[in-house]
Amino acid sequence: MTAWRTTGALGRALALAALGLAAGVLLGEPALVVLTAPFGVFAALGLLRRPTGRPVLRTRLDHVVLHEGQGTRSHLVVGDPAGIEQVTRVVGPVPYVALHPAGGALSRRVDPADPVLASVEVSPRRWGRRALGVETVAVTSAWAGYRAGPVTLVVDELEALPVRAPFDSRAEAPTPVGLVGAHRSRRLGDGTDLAAIRPFHPGDRLRRVNWRVSLRTGDLHVVTSRAEEDAGFLLLVDALADHGRSGGVDGAASSLDVTVRAAAALAEHHVRTGDRVGLRVLGGTGATLRPGAGRRHLRVLQSRLAHLHAEEPRHLTADKVQLGVPPGTVVVVLSPMLSELVGAVTGTLVRRGLPVLVVDTLPPGVPPLVGEGTDPAVAALAWRMRLLEREEVLARLAGTGCPVVAWRGPGTLDEVLRRLSRRGPQVRTR
Amino acid sequence: MNRLTGRWPAGQVALRATMVLAPVLALQAGALAGTPPRLWLTLLVAALGLAWTRLPDAAFGTVALGVVVLWWAAGPGRHAPGPALLLAAALLVAAHVAGLLAAYGPSTLGVDRGLLRLWVGRAALALLLAPVALGVTLLAAPGRGGPGVWMAGLAVAFLALSLAGAAFAADESEPR
Repeated sequence: MTAWRTTGALGRALALAALGLAAGVLLGEPALVVLTAPFGVFAALGLLRRPTGRPVLRTRLDHVVLHEGQGTRSHLVVGDPAGIEQVTRVVGPVPYVALHPAGGALSRRVDPADPVLASVEVSPRRWGRRALGVETVAVTSAWAGYRAGPVTLVVDELEALPVRAPFDSRAEAPTPVGLVGAHRSRRLGDGTDLAAIRPFHPGDRLRRVNWRVSLRTGDLHVVTSRAEEDAGFLLLVDALADHGRSGGVDGAASSLDVTVRAAAALAEHHVRTGDRVGLRVLGGTGATLRPGAGRRHLRVLQSRLAHLHAEEPRHLTADKVQLGVPPGTVVVVLSPMLSELVGAVTGTLVRRGLPVLVVDTLPPGVPPLVGEGTDPAVAALAWRMRLLEREEVLARLAGTGCPVVAWRGPGTLDEVLRRLSRRGPQVRTR
Repeated sequence: MNRLTGRWPAGQVALRATMVLAPVLALQAGALAGTPPRLWLTLLVAALGLAWTRLPDAAFGTVALGVVVLWWAAGPGRHAPGPALLLAAALLVAAHVAGLLAAYGPSTLGVDRGLLRLWVGRAALALLLAPVALGVTLLAAPGRGGPGVWMAGLAVAFLALSLAGAAFAADESEPR
């Protein structure tokens, strides 16, 4: 709420009109009156149209949760628009948020019957929590006599979920261990996929009898099928550092962009197929989400991903990382694999006999993070050495049977999941 | 152009050009009445106009326009009130409206066409008072004789046009 104050234009019109009339009367100069009479109109009407009451201004977002790249509108609303003729609204620049009109600044004439004074289109260009920050607003009365503001308004926060990256997989989960689901289990049960035809045993259901084989062989035979179960997935997300520069949803992707978008795509796909998906973040927020299923769980998982930021916690070592992965859970490590910690944790999981696969999220050609005052030549050399070490870690993981794939959208994991499905139970080593 | 004006949109450039040039041209209109302004006065008004473009809500505009009005009263207006005076009045109103529109927001703000149309209409309406005042002046005091008579006429005309403007303002509740 802000009070009305006279504008500079009203002051100017009043001063010139008063000058003209006073000096004209005193000096008897007609030129003064001719030149200043129009200003008398501006001044008189500006004064006459003084608004009553104080405008109460607030902002309202149509949507507070969006996917990156989507758009919504931020409305400037006033309690009582009577007396307001013009509005000026300036939204400050926000990183990774596109505004329309460009620059988020607009000035327009107000419809006196509409409490929505001005709307700005807002579109988050990168996942994350996007605080639209503060904006400056001023409203002017008719004939520009009075102005309320400029006042600073705090705009709501926008949560930009990772983009719905196209991802699909037709591969089975390697070790489905749940109750009901879409994956063919190694266990026999009430599924639809044929496992075998075997002689009848007491306790077998009569509807399972295969009469054609029974008549041919002279003994009762029954059909057995594979159980269909859901699988558990743990997305292990590396948020220890962000390599590369993010250009938003339409531009270049940093390593954390690839990681978050890939994790969101995997989670959405597996939740859609009825699997249980959990989340564990190494570094950053350190978020943990127990495995779960359903759309509400997916929404919580996407929100946790959206709140990620790159940060390497002090004193975090591989032996302190307690993942609590249930047996049979497929662990998907999403990482640029530039941290020794992630390599060590992945190695530990592989040694536990869990099906682990690594999704390499380091975009090709990423330049090194160069600190201020660092010699670029030295930084480039260090970066090359770091990449060589990374190659060695990846090769070592591949040698232990842990597949490593680069993220490339749909079908990224098909081949490795099929290979993991065909593989027998892993030996647990220490 | 962009290198000269920074991030100013074309509309803002036009407004600010009007704020500088219109008072200067209003001075120069005195040459049409046979009294060209001194160079230092022109420079002073231009400097005030330039300062006004940086701070459209500040008093620079009032001073710039006030200097022009006083010069006209002291110089050409005293000897030859006529079309040149009307031209000067129009230029002063144009400068005032340009300053008013520029003061609506920061210099990076685009000029809304609806507001521009509204204020051009209002300026035209307000300017109607100038020829009326001039006519009253010429009719009532051909020999610059009775100031009381033409001053009374001017006051009546001013009042009438103010009332007309108020009625106009009351009718224009819908945005154009």
